[in-house]
Amino acid sequence: MSAIRLGIDVGGTFTDLVSLGDGTLITAKVPSTPRDQSEGVMNAIRTSEVEATSVAALAHGMTVATNALLERRGAKMALVTTEGFRDVLEIARQNRPSLYDLSIDRPPPLIPRGLRFTVRERMGPDGEIEALDEESLKEAVAAVKEAGVEAVAVCLLFAFAHPEHERRVGEALREALPQMHVSLSSEVLPEFREYERFSTTAADAYLAPKLAAYLKNLAGKAEAAGVPAPLIMQSSGGVVRVEDAIADAAGCVLSGPAGGVVGAAYVGSLGGYENLLTFDMGGTSTDVAPIIEGEAQTTTETVVAGVPIKLPMVDVHTVSAGGGSVAWADAGGALRVGPHSAGAEPGPAAYDKGGEEPAVTDANLFLGYLNDGAQLGGEVVLRRDLSEKALDSLGENLGLSTEEAALGIVRVANAEMVRALRVISVERGLDPREFALLAFGGAGGLHACSLAEELGMRIVLVPRAGGVLSALGLSISDLRRDYVRPYLSALEEMDAREFEKRYEDMEAAAADDLESPDHTRRADLRYAGQSFELTVEADDLEKLEERFHATHEQRYGYRMEDEAVELVSLRLVATVPVEKPDLDETEAAGDAEAERREANFDGEWKEVPVLDRERMGRGSEVVGPAIVEFREATCVVRPGWSGKVDDVGTLVLEKADE
Amino acid sequence: MSSARLDPVTLSVLASALAGISEEMGAVLIRGAYSSNIKERRDCSTALFDAQGRMVAQAEHIPVHLGAMPEAVKAIMGRDPAPGDVFAINDPYSGGTHLPDITLVSPVAHGEAAEIIGYAVTRAHHSDVGGMRPGSMPSDSREIFQEGIIIPPVRLVRNGEYVSDVLDLLLANVRTPGLRRGDLRAQIAANNIAEARVGELIERRGRDTVLAAFDEVISYTEKRTREAIRKLPDGKYSAEDFMEGDGATEEDIAIKATVEIDGDSMRIDFSGTSGAVRGNINCPLPVTRSACYFALRVLLPKDLPANAGTYAPLTIEAPEGSLVNASYPSAVVAGNVETSNRIADTVLAALAGFAPDALPAQGQGTMNNTIIGGPGWTYYETIGGGQGASARGAGPSGVHVGMSNTLNTPIEAFEIEYPMRVERYELIYGSGGDGEHRGGDGIVRSVKVLSPASLSLLTDRRRHAPKGVEGGEPGKIGRNLLNGENLPPKVSRELAEGDVVTVETPGGGGYGHSAKA
Repeated sequence: MSAIRLGIDVGGTFTDLVSLGDGTLITAKVPSTPRDQSEGVMNAIRTSEVEATSVAALAHGMTVATNALLERRGAKMALVTTEGFRDVLEIARQNRPSLYDLSIDRPPPLIPRGLRFTVRERMGPDGEIEALDEESLKEAVAAVKEAGVEAVAVCLLFAFAHPEHERRVGEALREALPQMHVSLSSEVLPEFREYERFSTTAADAYLAPKLAAYLKNLAGKAEAAGVPAPLIMQSSGGVVRVEDAIADAAGCVLSGPAGGVVGAAYVGSLGGYENLLTFDMGGTSTDVAPIIEGEAQTTTETVVAGVPIKLPMVDVHTVSAGGGSVAWADAGGALRVGPHSAGAEPGPAAYDKGGEEPAVTDANLFLGYLNDGAQLGGEVVLRRDLSEKALDSLGENLGLSTEEAALGIVRVANAEMVRALRVISVERGLDPREFALLAFGGAGGLHACSLAEELGMRIVLVPRAGGVLSALGLSISDLRRDYVRPYLSALEEMDAREFEKRYEDMEAAAADDLESPDHTRRADLRYAGQSFELTVEADDLEKLEERFHATHEQRYGYRMEDEAVELVSLRLVATVPVEKPDLDETEAAGDAEAERREANFDGEWKEVPVLDRERMGRGSEVVGPAIVEFREATCVVRPGWSGKVDDVGTLVLEKADE
Repeated sequence: MSSARLDPVTLSVLASALAGISEEMGAVLIRGAYSSNIKERRDCSTALFDAQGRMVAQAEHIPVHLGAMPEAVKAIMGRDPAPGDVFAINDPYSGGTHLPDITLVSPVAHGEAAEIIGYAVTRAHHSDVGGMRPGSMPSDSREIFQEGIIIPPVRLVRNGEYVSDVLDLLLANVRTPGLRRGDLRAQIAANNIAEARVGELIERRGRDTVLAAFDEVISYTEKRTREAIRKLPDGKYSAEDFMEGDGATEEDIAIKATVEIDGDSMRIDFSGTSGAVRGNINCPLPVTRSACYFALRVLLPKDLPANAGTYAPLTIEAPEGSLVNASYPSAVVAGNVETSNRIADTVLAALAGFAPDALPAQGQGTMNNTIIGGPGWTYYETIGGGQGASARGAGPSGVHVGMSNTLNTPIEAFEIEYPMRVERYELIYGSGGDGEHRGGDGIVRSVKVLSPASLSLLTDRRRHAPKGVEGGEPGKIGRNLLNGENLPPKVSRELAEGDVVTVETPGGGGYGHSAKA
């Protein structure tokens, strides 16, 4: 029977696979293959020994688009834009990136000066001001042809409302250059504000050829292996078919992190926790995200590698701090952690690869949270004596003992994490005390209880599949497509029939793209005169205004019922839900206590039990202070915390009343 | 006041939390604002002060705002502020900078006794505060009364409620009262967030620890600033530069700065600078201070938090009644936006004597203030230009280089909101000075008015080009045009329907000899 869903996530170091069928979960981990990520994907399938014929769906998350943007290795491409406005992408919003560092420039635009071409035409807020000059179009097409580019972005002023000229330019380009990829701003992002729309469109054209090559290659390999065509994770947290992913390349830049957030929402919901802050701490960076009522949240304000991409993306906030972040003493005598990271080479001092400065991992090792002599990924063996030496010399600079230095590093690193978690909760009007903290990633569980204490959170969740949560998220991701239509109008003057008609248009488009999808209607609103919109549910026109007031109040602390509310855009999210199976946790396999070791809590050394998560099972209990070692991660259960493994394998920790 | 010393760890942890609060204030203000100048261009700044009126943390927005905030807070502290109050001030002669910048200061209170433990401050550029011309940035004012309504430190909110008499009086004196009301409300919301967040921080850390952190964050910054100054050689360097007219005359007006470093302190003396002028490019002392702080900050390590500690090692001597320390009732509206840039240029040029490699060639040195208004609308924009090149590479093109860092108004937002059309907005290729590394290019922005309107331009570097360094060529000067005809650097005109105003901004200076030479 063909009932297995595969999720395969490509990360920087490992490619993870989860095979989910009838509640049983098989995982595989193989090294990533950065030159061609699809090799790692196929290796993972082979390693898992899953029968090709039993696979019903294969969902894939990757970093091909993100990396191309970060490394500026996308397509060679041209821009065709309105005459008089060729440099919108370079001028950007004309602010400098650093107030006081006068020689730092913004990242270079995706399209260099010599490849920006213009056509004579002009649309305004009310439609055509100057007709499209066919002669200038001919010249622009010839110039694009001459330039020998792989892709072209067509970005004309006011095309979000009046796309006719842009379509004509696109048509002429496609006719003359049928092999070339063409992105139109009115199709990629029909929203006002030219720089952000042009930038999103440029990213789309820049990434499409590379993504197409990769995905077609992968699809070919999948076909040869007899598994279904892959479904591709989008930044929005839903999967699409390969051809749709290629057609919407800019929508794939957060393909990687999106899987983790979806996986976290799934595991949390299974255990009955629908409101979560996710905390994914890795070696060099940490991702945090809010999940409300079991759903990952999306935002349209993401900037990736200096390029604003205003498409709906999972609301993940990333800070560049992780286990590898290096601690140092600055000239003012303060202890600082990061932003510099020791990475994998030389890595923390404990790796014995030449790193001499202590990293967060060294502090965790010295304090007894990590095991002296533990093996990481087979080759690296942690050496506590090297951590101690590095911490010792840092402490000397700061007038701190080795122990104080280690405790201090953890506290300073935690402060950064708390700040990140506050950005996605308090600053969004969400009270963290009403949320559970779901920790994953290699280092998530080490810091989770401390962070929860700082934020007044009482529940910490550490899922069993924490090491492969992104792949798990992929395996249960819904098919999803997002649509948007501009509709600038005062809410009071809005025509209800026109409102309905635009949604119906989008629903018709969705019906072509997906098989009988579910629809969620949303709308972007603002107080007339403001510049920033808030997105609210729009299933009920009557409730729209009140929902906006309420959302504004939650987000910014006040509402203004005497002010007119304005509609800006209508959005449709179309999804085809996938059945989400329960996970089964097995019975405990006897006593889970593997050993006891000394660990330091708030300056006090205590001998604490170290439990092996693999020997724990449904109902197994832990009382802090204790340490639980998962297969790929470690969880510190601080004094005052206790918990047990629930029916789906999540370690649920609760803080006792004080 | 607690005298407990914080350990290096707690210090780091709290510095991060305080910076987070001022940044969140900024986000709330921008999101809630109504006028394009604040919501799109972000011409506003936010900061947190301690009970003694020292800046503890700021969101890094607009340099010219931030250095001048302490005076505003001092002025409010003298008015017996109580919890629940919000004070407004814009008077340049009692703590403001120029009239469009309205500053709101709220005491931050804590506990049942409602002890005032600090102040939340927001400063925003309101694109009309009345006066002789729409936009309140005339080129031809001769005394401050012509520049708008003067707000001495007054309570705008008492006990959490608007003092409606004051608000009504204020709104009756401006051309766009609806926008002003919305913008002020956004400022108040930002101040309120600060009080809530500081309260939460105290709940977690305790009052004494948080107050100790205020102290220590400042002394930590001072220590590091002194460290950086000590690394520079002792000595004295001077520089001189010019403003191109004041709106009343076309003459050059001299600014002279002498910088002296002695151990870990720095003194800047403006002796030799021109006296205050008849036009409006005069600076009240807080503006001059901002410009000096900016120049100093450019030399300091980039990871230093911004607060009162940065300024402690610096003394400034500015002769009373001079261009850089004007007295009541001199007109000052352009001092804040134009002269401030030249002061920074001049001080940076003198500082280059101490640290020649640390500084780039001169950037555009002007904000190219463009103000257009008609019945019921006012538009204010500053336009980016070329930054100077440096040893590290070419100068950035089309950016703000000095005392401003506002965003542009998107063309699509601009044309929806105003009866105007943008005809051209692009870089002037090759306008940056040649050199081993090229200076950044300036911008050309042409706007056509679709109904009669009033224009003011406050610009500079239309005669004296931004200089190159180490053999680099100067950047190209800027130009102002009305229907193709040259306009002076500072000018006000009435526009007819269909008139086209074009501003070409200067390029940045080049660095090093060009390979071609």
